[in-house]
Amino acid sequence: MKARFRAGDRVRVLHLGKPGHVRTPFYVRGKVGTVSELCGYYLNPEDLAVGNTGGPVIPLYRVSFRQNDLWSDYRGPAHDTLSIEIYDHWLAPE
Amino acid sequence: MTRGYHDIGGNPAGPVPKDELPWLHWEKQVEAVRNLLGDGTRRVISLDEMRRGFESFGIDKYASLSFYRRRLEAMIDILIEKEVITREELDEEIAAVRARWTNVS
Amino acid sequence: MSDLHGHEHSHEHSHDHAHAAHPPLVAEDEAGNIEGQIIIDALQNILVRKNLLAPEEVTQEIEKIESPGLHLGAKIIARAWVDPAFKQRLLENGKSAAAELGIKVGEAQLIVVENTQGLHNLICCTLCSCYPRSILGQPPSWYISKAYRARAVREPRQILSEFGLDLPDDVELIVHDSNADMRYLVLPERPAGTEGWNEEQLAALVSRDSMIGVAKVTMA
Repeated sequence: MKARFRAGDRVRVLHLGKPGHVRTPFYVRGKVGTVSELCGYYLNPEDLAVGNTGGPVIPLYRVSFRQNDLWSDYRGPAHDTLSIEIYDHWLAPE
Repeated sequence: MTRGYHDIGGNPAGPVPKDELPWLHWEKQVEAVRNLLGDGTRRVISLDEMRRGFESFGIDKYASLSFYRRRLEAMIDILIEKEVITREELDEEIAAVRARWTNVS
Repeated sequence: MSDLHGHEHSHEHSHDHAHAAHPPLVAEDEAGNIEGQIIIDALQNILVRKNLLAPEEVTQEIEKIESPGLHLGAKIIARAWVDPAFKQRLLENGKSAAAELGIKVGEAQLIVVENTQGLHNLICCTLCSCYPRSILGQPPSWYISKAYRARAVREPRQILSEFGLDLPDDVELIVHDSNADMRYLVLPERPAGTEGWNEEQLAALVSRDSMIGVAKVTMA
């Protein structure tokens, strides 16, 4: 799977509504951030969790969010951010 | 909305407990067994499968078990699911091991 | 007698299993630890009989997972402090730079994040307990506690204050939630007054907590 995003892209985390094992925490779903880098291509943990090891590998990105965009009650300055890894299929361009 | 009970980022919680618990032998043994079973020669249970295990054994177990006990219980659930072991043979062996423990003292 | 899952023995934590409040840290008491030992021994016995495990290799694997620790991380930090070119390579590819020092990173990749006067980094794993175990060994209990996992992403400055680190507002704070394949190590600021120190002396100053981001490295 080709990487759809690159550093600097604004992205929105999707609410995939996927049951079972996922590695995208609830608190970033629906939020908008900026891709900081493409980490590489990895097997999808959602598949690995049920023993499907055949692939394909999918792009994994580090995405940066402003803390004030994640939490309405964030107690800290505006320049604070949170960085987290998101797989390609959880993201849409913003 | 699908949110696992383990997905607690952002939840309210009290102060971070600072007591550092020692890493006990049985806990290391749990990790060691999982690592070996997941290695390239076996691939019997991966980290991802173990995580699925503790994410699906129910919130009561998740909330009440210690960290390494959760991993142990998750590993057991997955090994049973994959028919590597059965609950019956595990229960039998646990009883046998327990009997040896109580006989030692 | 207690059932297999040990719910009948006394716990040191609250029995309130309300979904909103997980006990901050569940510690086994003596009965729970014995139970854990019995169960893992039983499991191991079965797996050995099925030729899935050899007992000696479990011992060997335990030794292997016991061996990483603070000393490996400190070695990396000290080298980065004295060697700017190494530091650059470390920040670009942590796994490869660690390998230069003979340190094998077992995880997919190690991302080293640098603290500066104007920037502070804090590492956590909200979903479970991801941590650079192949370098630092087991994470501390507080790192895997529900309180840290829940609050580090939302109240990081308050968490730092609980650890005695008050970050001024003009310092930017980045929290890294290691939720997938990457693992993180904080490269703390080198303390003032250590000019001319050798790597061994510098490594001795580095604490585990400074590589997670809840502390700075001091001379004390």
